[in-house]
Amino acid sequence: MEIRKLDQMFDVLGTRAKKRLVAAWAIDAHTIMAVSEAVKMGIIEGILVGDEQKIKAVCREHGIDAGTIRIVHCDNDIAAAAMAVDLINKGEGDFLMKGLLSTDRYMRAILNKEKGLMDPGAILSHVTVAEPNNYHKLLIFGDVAIIPLPDLAQKVAITNYLIKTAHFLGIDNPKVGLLAASEQTLPKIPSCADAAIISKMAQRGQIKGATIEGPLGMDLIIDKESAQIKGMNSAVCGDADCILFPNIEAGNTFYKTIVKLLKSELCAVVMGARVPCVLTSRGDSERSKLYSIALAAMLAFKS
Amino acid sequence: MKSLSEIAQKAKSLSRKVKIAVAMAEDANTIGAICRAAAEGFVFPILIGNKARIVELLSTQNLSMDKYEIIDLPDMTAATRESVRMVKAGEADVLMKGLVGTDKFLREVLSKERGLLPPKAVMSYTCALELPKYHKLLLVSDTAVLPAPDLDQKIAMLKYSVNMAHTLGIDCPKVALISATEKVSPGMPNTLDYALICKMAERGQIKGCTVDGPLDVFLACDPAAGDIKGVQSPIGGNADILIFPNLETANAFYKGLMLFAEGELAGLIQGTSKPVVVMSRSESENSKYYCIALSCLMAEER
Repeated sequence: MEIRKLDQMFDVLGTRAKKRLVAAWAIDAHTIMAVSEAVKMGIIEGILVGDEQKIKAVCREHGIDAGTIRIVHCDNDIAAAAMAVDLINKGEGDFLMKGLLSTDRYMRAILNKEKGLMDPGAILSHVTVAEPNNYHKLLIFGDVAIIPLPDLAQKVAITNYLIKTAHFLGIDNPKVGLLAASEQTLPKIPSCADAAIISKMAQRGQIKGATIEGPLGMDLIIDKESAQIKGMNSAVCGDADCILFPNIEAGNTFYKTIVKLLKSELCAVVMGARVPCVLTSRGDSERSKLYSIALAAMLAFKS
Repeated sequence: MKSLSEIAQKAKSLSRKVKIAVAMAEDANTIGAICRAAAEGFVFPILIGNKARIVELLSTQNLSMDKYEIIDLPDMTAATRESVRMVKAGEADVLMKGLVGTDKFLREVLSKERGLLPPKAVMSYTCALELPKYHKLLLVSDTAVLPAPDLDQKIAMLKYSVNMAHTLGIDCPKVALISATEKVSPGMPNTLDYALICKMAERGQIKGCTVDGPLDVFLACDPAAGDIKGVQSPIGGNADILIFPNLETANAFYKGLMLFAEGELAGLIQGTSKPVVVMSRSESENSKYYCIALSCLMAEER
């Protein structure tokens, strides 16, 4: 089924075999509560990697039944990240989540050449799925957090991640808008030039499974009326499922605008590693963390 | 127009004679081609150079004395400058190169003060090929001037060729941007330029034609190729214009066709304020005659 609201992911996951989440250095209440909530909802199985004493103390304090979750003991955050990645590589877990350690240490464990989760040449990128309260469907976009200024190859990779995410959410032929400063093809503006190139690559079947259009301004991507006024009759205009951002500033600003100004929910996942990786921040709402766990679990199924 | 002879027919039907200033009209090839056009009545040659030499060459041609003019300027630089000046001043409609080196000739055409190239204009070359195995004329650029055109130069080549197609009565020419494959890849930078050009056409920034590329020559000119390769293209193997990524490719393409496929051609310098005919000595007299006819149509268009 096509997911049109984030909480529909819970319904879908409830009907499937449970995927196993491995949380690295999961010693804080935020992480443990999010995992235990997801386990209680019956959408995943949980594995917490961290100091067993601390984890159990947090569970007692918050009335969490530690018996529903597997605990793997580790002394410190770096060892816990490595252990969590190792569990995934040994096939004991299906996707990864960050606990109380720094993003930097978490990413280093994923990116570790010998023991990490990367295949050679793979590109790590961040995909967000938002439910803006005044848009008629979900919006999938990237990269707002990992690649500051993607080059053409990285943009193609990100576009493919957006499309893959849409497919996993049951959106068969997602409409992808390639954001640029203008819908005109202005060769000296890199966002316009790259968008034109990616759009032609899609026409040639080098990017599959989606309808892709760009360069487009944000107005044309999300607002049909603007597209009509400007005489743009692409199917993507005003009905986009996915947006490729030309740089992290644009994407990150859009992300934060959705959360803070529109007061809308969203969730995110890191793609490009062998398994989906959850990367929530402390600023995220409880609901948002739960959605991110659900999104990663959805993506952990084989395509 | 679907053939070079139709171009000549059309030139003959023009309401006035086109004045062609020939710089250093001192070789038999040039004199032969221009006299044929003059005898057929659509060209009035102004032959500039050493008068004695010119008169001697004309003696074999049977062209009556009221059908041409000679300006006696034996010095090569002076003759070339005068021919360019006449065209710039509107005393002649078309400039043609005779027995003067292409470098020297083009230097005068390109001169900032005396020349025929508007400021910032790109000089390029488009030729129309007639091929026994193709059902219509095939316009090709750039076979002669720009060695490695950048994006702006490719766009200029395209616009010049489209303009020529319009003059030849081809209303919405199909333009194929030629590469080795139809795939867009950073490893072949020309294909990136092509993707931009396509999108510019889609956005209405380039008008009056249908553009697609990258395409290989099969996809551009063979209707069966699209199905075989599974490539959907509005060109549909029925291209009117081929834009090549560089001079070597375009030059080898047309010369190969001249040599092995019995092609004929008519080509012109592009970008100048008036048509400029530059022909190499190795071209057939027929091709030279068609060049002249084409220059008359392009002169009339302006």
